[in-house]
Order: sequence, then structure tokens, then C-alpha cells
Amino acid sequence: MRLILHYLKRYKLLVFLNIVSVFGFALVELGIPTVVSDMIDNGVMNQDETYLVRMGIRIAIISIIGVLGTILLGYCCAKISTSVTRDIRHDVFQKVQSFSHSEMNQFGVASLITRTNNDAFQIMMFLNIILKTALLTPVMMAVSFTLTITTSLKLSLIIVSTIPIIILGVVLVGKISMPISEKQQASLDSINRIFRENLTGIRVIRSFNNDAYESERFDDENVNFMNQSKRLFKLMSSTEPIFFLLMNLAALLIYFTASHMIEAQTLQVGKLVAFMEYLFHAMFSVMLFCMVFMMYPRANVSAKRIMAVLDMDTSIHNGASKKEEKTAEHSVVFDHVDFVYPDGEEAVLKDISFEAKAGETVAFIGSTGSGKSTLIQLIPRFYDVSSGHIFIDGVDVRDMDFYELRNKIGFVPQKANLFSGTIEDNIRFGKEDATMEEIIHATKVAQAYDFIMEKPLQFKERIVEGATNVSGGQKQRLSIARALVRKPQIYIYDDSFSALDFKTDATLRAELKKEITNEIVFIVAQRVSSIMDADQIIVLNEGKVVGKGKHKELLKSCDIYYEIASSQLSEEEM
Amino acid sequence: MNEKINWKVCMKGFLHHVAPYKGRLIIAILALVCSTAIYAGNPLIEGSITTQLTKDAKEIMNQVEGAHVHFDIVIKTIITLAIRYGLRAFLLLVSAFFLTNAIQSTMRDLRNSLQTKIQRLPVRYFDSHAFGDVLSTVTNDVDTLSNALQQTFTKAITGGLTFILALSMMFKINVTMAVVSLIIIPMTVLITKIFVKRSQRLFHLQQKTVGEMNGTITELYGGFNEILLYNKQKDAIKQFEEVNERMAKSAFKAQFISSMISPCISLVTYLTIGGVAVLGCIFVIQGTIVVGGLQAFIRYIWQINDPLSQVSQLSSQIQAAFAAMSRIFTLLNEEEEEQKGTVSIDAKEMKGNVSFEHVQFGYEEDLLMKDVNFEVKSGQMVALVGPTGAGKTTLMNLLLRFYDVKGGAIKIDGVDIKDMNREQLRSLFSLVLQDTWLFNGSIYDNIRYGRLNARKDEVIDSAKMANVHHFIRTLSHGYDSMINEEANNISQGEKQLLTIARAILKDPQILILDEATSSVDTRLEKMLQDAMQKVMKGRTSFVIAHRLSTIKNADLILVIKDGDIIEQGTHESLLKQGGFYEKLYNSQFANKTVES
Repeated sequence: MRLILHYLKRYKLLVFLNIVSVFGFALVELGIPTVVSDMIDNGVMNQDETYLVRMGIRIAIISIIGVLGTILLGYCCAKISTSVTRDIRHDVFQKVQSFSHSEMNQFGVASLITRTNNDAFQIMMFLNIILKTALLTPVMMAVSFTLTITTSLKLSLIIVSTIPIIILGVVLVGKISMPISEKQQASLDSINRIFRENLTGIRVIRSFNNDAYESERFDDENVNFMNQSKRLFKLMSSTEPIFFLLMNLAALLIYFTASHMIEAQTLQVGKLVAFMEYLFHAMFSVMLFCMVFMMYPRANVSAKRIMAVLDMDTSIHNGASKKEEKTAEHSVVFDHVDFVYPDGEEAVLKDISFEAKAGETVAFIGSTGSGKSTLIQLIPRFYDVSSGHIFIDGVDVRDMDFYELRNKIGFVPQKANLFSGTIEDNIRFGKEDATMEEIIHATKVAQAYDFIMEKPLQFKERIVEGATNVSGGQKQRLSIARALVRKPQIYIYDDSFSALDFKTDATLRAELKKEITNEIVFIVAQRVSSIMDADQIIVLNEGKVVGKGKHKELLKSCDIYYEIASSQLSEEEM
Repeated sequence: MNEKINWKVCMKGFLHHVAPYKGRLIIAILALVCSTAIYAGNPLIEGSITTQLTKDAKEIMNQVEGAHVHFDIVIKTIITLAIRYGLRAFLLLVSAFFLTNAIQSTMRDLRNSLQTKIQRLPVRYFDSHAFGDVLSTVTNDVDTLSNALQQTFTKAITGGLTFILALSMMFKINVTMAVVSLIIIPMTVLITKIFVKRSQRLFHLQQKTVGEMNGTITELYGGFNEILLYNKQKDAIKQFEEVNERMAKSAFKAQFISSMISPCISLVTYLTIGGVAVLGCIFVIQGTIVVGGLQAFIRYIWQINDPLSQVSQLSSQIQAAFAAMSRIFTLLNEEEEEQKGTVSIDAKEMKGNVSFEHVQFGYEEDLLMKDVNFEVKSGQMVALVGPTGAGKTTLMNLLLRFYDVKGGAIKIDGVDIKDMNREQLRSLFSLVLQDTWLFNGSIYDNIRYGRLNARKDEVIDSAKMANVHHFIRTLSHGYDSMINEEANNISQGEKQLLTIARAILKDPQILILDEATSSVDTRLEKMLQDAMQKVMKGRTSFVIAHRLSTIKNADLILVIKDGDIIEQGTHESLLKQGGFYEKLYNSQFANKTVES
């Protein structure tokens, strides 16, 4: 609710028009009966045919105005609901763009997609109901009341007396239905969950011959859902006849009172007819109001899910000072870095210190879970260190502007991700104003040029969504080219050669080496052969540095490194 | 398209599911018909009061001798009406209760049928159909159908009936006025046609933009890393904004155009009412009809207007319901796999000797396995090796008959598995997969899943065997701790230990194991290996191997590439052979495995 109001504020004029146009609708629905009653009272009683025709024209005019009002209502309603949803989507998307990895992981991509799309859609549906139908009820009630009070106070009191009953009924139905509806929703989620489990675990379930157990588990929840649905739907569909009955009885009361008034000549028959019409139309609008109850729980859940995204605090903030202390030589320094994942308990990295100088290649090796990928992810600030410092050119990365920091870095992740668009677009992603020569050069170094040229449209070849039309190795090479074209100061390769065959891997590394003059290169690798000639090899084990040095030194000084190397290399290679 | 056949199948399937509740449904419909009939008759009676009052009022006005309101008549009519209103409300309630009961019970049965169906469909079906589609059939489609029935059913019946009754009442009151009013019908049809044509095109466009929007978000959220690294947040927002704007525009157009249908139809109604009112008043003056008749007549026009202005909305709901129904029954009519076999085996007597004899297999038309032969003695270990994506799961698929061989035979203790009862065959196996499957429930329930009639001490014993007992004890609720939906409250390695405990509890002859490769810390890795060694003891095991130790110790190594077994033998014999295994061993295993 808070969410919707917040966004509605932006469209005050439209909301105002919306409310005004609701009156337009009320005007016809209630105006026509008024005119008809006049026709009966004056036209028929006085047998005045020209008056009748004049009134007929008046009905036509009222109709046209009313219909225009209703169309305007449709316009406002559509405009507001679609605009609000657009704004919500926009804000959610923008918020997500400001997320760091820990927030991203907390929600998960799939859930964020649902929140941006489906949940916003639910809000739109709800807004439609509110703006169109829910507003109608009070307006109709108010207008019919004012219309009646001028003709007969006594009769209008009867109508007024139904109002508290109706409000009471509405509140009561709301009170009872909300919790049921929420339970029903929760039960539906459970059904979905069990069914999803049934689908994902299809092989396991069958291997254990547990289909009967699953059916039982499913039916338990299914029965629960059915019962909640029955209660909810019964409640919903019984409100209508009961409200109708109440209004009808009120109508009878009016007939009864009216007949006395007619005898006393204080009321005209036409007015009575009009009265009955008002009641009849007000009744319908109350019915429509019940729709709100149907929609509210779902919209509420969606609103909560959207709010969760919008209210999320980002854990990583942009550095305050943009100024750089220019040291003559580039460097990256890790100074006693500890790191614990935001929701983790144990430190993934403990007391990491090392220095990389311009032109150096630093390699990280270690078994799975040793923390090597996490370590390099700290450099572009996917996460922030828990204690210690990381300095680039003498400036703590936390004091740097995101834009500046990331501009310095060419990061090639483990899992290459390409976007839909041409191959050229994808490489240009690294540097927008890259010339064709630069692009060609980058692809040549990345060993991607040859396979690109084999494609029918070459650089203009389209990469489809999900990049399913290029192989894993091709994806890796394109993402390397994308980093290269950027000409960054720091290269980070996070196990980025894994999908390449040995020969391509070797040529690629040789070519890359030629490119490096003053840059710093970080490589995470599984293969010792990929990193043997690095200037500095850092061996990690359980988040700690257990060895640091060149290949030959480490073979002697570091047991773990020796173990890794001996399992991979032959005697002579070592 | 064979829509007609599909439609027939749908109706047949649907009626079959409704059949148990037809009694309730008939009562509901009867009640609905009666209440509508009462509803249609009411305006005429209400009108009679007005007529009476008008007559009396005129007399009073004209100061006729003894003129007064005939209260006896008025009160009699009021009582009649009160009874009718009460009866109508009662009938509506009856119909709502019975209808809700029947519909929701039918929906439950439908969901159960779908769930059962899922258990009986061949695994092939799920490998070739998107997971989300199947899921959406059970959830969204059944929901759509349920809502449509719950809301549309009543509306369609009452709407149709009201329309006919109101129309005949109108003719009864005054033929000329009724004929004039008839103009509403062609006008409504015309307006609906014009707008629906446009709005449908716009809704299609909107649907398409929704798709584009989804695609864009998926890509931009999925490529989050790259966007961050390359400072492309602004471009991403711009790209999103463009789709978002288009989406808002198309949604607006679709909504606005379709929202115009109802007021346009109402305009016709209003004008008709205006015309009829003028005409009616003249008739009243001429004395052809009475005032109450005129009042009733106008009320009938409103009554007709209501269902008419809903026609387009109802028809789109009905269309959606039919589309949902056709998906539901298409799924329910998929072919099931044969459960029974010709040979009955006694699971306890089985030893676990497995032999492949000239096995041919392929997922599609083309054969991947052309002629596979090997034999495994009871208690032996078979290691499956090969590059990622080479089809190591194929063997599991064949052994458990998730897929059937296309030629040759797989025999367990000399019995062709094709002749076995599926349930008996599967009782011989336990699976421990890297992609662990646990369900939302307690840890105890998840382990007990291996053998549902296991005693508590048996469950705990197998947890101990799987090296997971200690971990479970450290949890705040021990064995009663719940595993949540994403099962992210316990680590991958611990999950795998739980699945091992589950496999131990089942105590099978044959084991299929997928070794863990990643996301397991060193301590757990050791516990896992330990547990795996224990569980493999004395059982025939097929291990998807990543570890040198496992491979070297295997009694038989099957080298799998592109879905086929291309080499087999022991570690030494394969190395000597100098084929693919030798190359694979020297490259992939050289750098993937740390310990040796």
C-alpha cells in the first residue's frame, strides 16, 4: 500500500482526473433515473409530449457526457497503472544495478527477474481495480445520497442506514477473507514447491520407488489448498447474495414508507421510481468493491517482494575521494587481507599479503576451495575486505570511485557471459570507441579472429540470447578479446583458459605475453603448466598463503606446490 | 491443427474429472436457474407497486371520493417480494456452496491426476520438455481453469438466462418498445467486434513486449558481472528503459482500447433507455401501458446491458480457460511407461552381477552406443570417466530404465531388465548424485526416504555410517531440523552426506555414485570419500569418477565420449593401449586432481 501511494503521488493530476471522471460515470448511472422520474412526474402527469422529447434529449446529452467521462476514466486508469508499473520496474532495475555481489546472491537472478516483471504486473492489476471499481463505490453512494436528500430526507435516511451495514459487512468480509487468502496463497506455494521437487527429483524418486509417498505428500497439501479455496470462494460468493438481499429489503422498506408519503401527498411517484434506481445502481457498485478483496493478498505479497529489493542497503559504497596519488610505477598491494562472506562464519581468506609491480605476472594456485577466485574478486570490489587493505597505485580500493577503479581492470571471469548482439558489439563492450583495427587486433591476440572470419557474417555475426550459438571455448576467447580491447592497467584471468585445448591455450598465452609491457597480470589457474613462468606464484591452501615465489623456488620450499606439480608434470618438465 | 479432436479430448477428460461431483453440480445449476428466473420476474412485480401507487396518487390528486393508497395490495406485494428476494438469496447461496465444492474438488482431483501422471511418464518426456512448462501446467493452468469456472461459469449461465428472460419480459410489456430496444443487440455485436479486433492485436503486441522485457532482464541480470566490471550500469539502465517505455506504451494502449468497449456499449444502452423512456411515457399517456410497466421495462434494459457489456471480457476468460484445459489434458494424455514386467525377481536373492550385451542406444534417431559389451561381477567397482558432457549419466539412465536400450540387452544376474517389473528393478539400486536432491522436510524424513518403513535407530545408524551423524547433532534441532526450500541452510558437502546416508539405509545391491568435485571444503571432502568407500563395500558400484585414487582402484574403467563407451579395461591396460584414456589421463586428470 505504502508502495502504491508513493508512486501515485507522481501522477496527482491524473489521479485527480481519474476521480473526477468517476463522477462522470456516477452522473449517467444516477442521472438517467432522475430524468426518467421527472418525465413520469411532469410529462406523464401533465401529458406534455414536448417536455418528454426535451427530456429525451437531455438523457442523450447526459449519456454522452457520462460515456466521455467513463472513457476518460479508462484513459486515466490505464495511464496511471501502466506508468506506475513502469516507474516501479525502473526503480527496481536501477536499484539492482547498484547492488554488489552479496545482494545479488542474496536474491538470486531468477527471483529478481520475477520481482521486476511479474510482481510489478500484479501491482498493475491491483491498481486497475482500485482506480476503476473501488473508487466507484464511495462515489456512487455519496452521489445517490445527495440526490435523495434533496427530495426526501426520510427516504434518504433509509439509504443512509444501509451504509453502516455495508461498511460493516465489507470490513467483516475483509477481516475474515484476508487470513484465509494468505493461507491459501501459502498453500499454493507449497503445492508448487512439492511439484517442483517432484520434477527435479524425478530420477531419485523413481530409484527409491517412492511415488506413492510423493503422491501422499502432494495430496496432503492439495487437500489443504482445496479446503482453503473452498472457504475463500464460498465466503466471496456468499457476500453478493447477502448484500443484494439487504439492499432489496431496504428497497421494500422504501416502498412501504413511500406509499404512506404518497398518501400524504409529500412524495411523487416518479421520485420513488428514481429512488429505486439509485438503490439498484449503488448496489452494483458495492458488489464490485468485493473484487478488491480478491486481489489484495496477491498484490500485497508482490508489493512486499518489490519493497524488499527497493529497501535493500547496498553493502559496497562508492569511494569518496576521486583523487589519485600518482606513484611513478603501477602496483597492486594486498596488505593483511582477511575476508569472510557476508553470511559466512569462517574466513575464506586469512592474512593475505603480497605486492605486484608493473609488468609482473602473478599467478594463484591451490585446490578447490582454497580461496583463489575469491581473492581476485576483491580487486574490482565484488566484495569488500573484512580487514586489511588492498592498494592500487597506493590508493585503497575502497577510496576509489567505482568507475575509475573498474576502468583500470580487464577481468575475464570463469564463466564467460556474452550479450545478444553482434560479435563486434560484444567486443566493443570493453571499449565503446574502439576502432576496427583495435578490435581485430584484440581478437587476433585472443585467438578468436580465425573462427570469427569463418562465420558467414564475420564480425557482424549475431550472438543470440544466452550465447548458445558459440561454443564454450569461443565464448572464453571472445570475452578475453573484450578485456584486451580495453587496454586496462590490470588484467585478471580467473581460470579463463579452461575450455581451450592445450594448443590454443599455449598460443594464446604466448600472444598475451607480447602484449604486456607495463601492466599487471593476475592469473588463477588449475594447470601448473599455465603458470610456471609467472614472476610470482602464490600458493593458497584453506585461505592462507602457504608459498610465494617462482616455480623453481617453490618446488623446493613449498610441499603443497610440489605435490600439485608432481601430480601434473613429468620429471623433466619440473 | 487438430483443434476439434483436442477439444473433444479435453471435454472428455474434463467430464471424467467432474463426474464424481455431478450431483452437486446439477444442484448448483438448478439453483442458479431458479434464482435467475426469480430475478427476471422481480421488476414486473416491483413495477406493479408503482402502478398501484400511481393510480392511487392520481386519484388522490384528482380528489376522487374515498381515494387512498391501497395498503392491502401494496403490503401483499411487498411480502411477495420479500419472499422472492429471500428465496433468491438462499438459492444463490446454495448454488455458490455446491458449485465451489464441486469445482474445488474437481481441481484437487485434477492436480492429483497430474502429479500421478508425472510419476508415470517416461524420463524422456522431462528431458525433452521444459521444466517450467510442466510446472506451469499444474500451477497456473489449473489455477486459470479454477478461477474461470468459479467466476465465469456463474456469470455465463446467469447472463445468458437473464438475457433471454429479460427480453421475453420486455416483449410481454410492450412489443413496440421491445423492438426498439432490440437495436442494442446488433450495435453491441458491432462495437465488440471493432474493439476486440484492435485490442486483440494490441494484447498480442503487449505479450510480445513482455517476452522482450523478460529476455532483456534475464540477460542484463545474468550479465551482472560484466556490466559491473565494464562500468556499463548506465547503458544497461538505458537499454532497460527503452524496453520498459515500450512496454508501458503497449500496455497502456491495450488497456485503454479494451476499456472503451464497455462505455461504448453502455452509450447504446443509455440512448435506448432515453428513447424508450420518451416512447414509454407517451404510451403511458395514451394508456397503452402502465407506469410500473415502464419502470420495469427500463430495469430490464439495464439487466440486458450487464451481460452484454461483459461479453468480451467473458469470452477472453473462456478462451484462456480452454487454452489452459487443452494444455492440462495434453499432458494427461501423454503415453505412460509400462510398469509391469514378465519376470518376477526376489530382490533379496539378487547378487548384483551386471552385464551389457551388444547394447545399442541413442537419445534421438542416431545411435550413440553402437555395440557395448561388458560384465561386472557382484561387488566390483566400475569407474566411468570422460570429458564433461560426454554422457556419463547415460549409463545410469539405462540401468534404471529411465531410457530403454535400442538393441541388445542389459542383464542383472542373467535376467534382462526389460522383463523385470520396474519397481523391482529399481529396488536394487541406490543413487548418490552430485546434483543432490533433498526435499523440504526434516533431516530425519530426508534420510528415511531411502526406506520409508525404517526404524529410527536404523536411520541414525546409516547417518553414522555416512559420517553425518555428528554434523546433524550440532544443528539446533538435530534430526528434526528442517531443510528449507532452496536447501541452502546446509552446505553442498553435507547435503551429499545426507544422500549417502539415504542410500545406505536402502541397502541396495547396486550403487550409482557421482563423485563430488567442487564446492566442498577439504575436511568434508575427506568425510565424503570415507563415506563413499564404506557404502561401496560389498556392493556392485558404478562411480562417475573424478579422483585418481578411485580410477586406479576400479575393477573396470569405462571411458565415455560423445555418449558411447569407446574404451574399457583396467587402469594399466588402458594406459598401455595408448588410446583416448591415455591422452585424457595425461591432460585432464593431470591437472584436475591434487592428490594421487
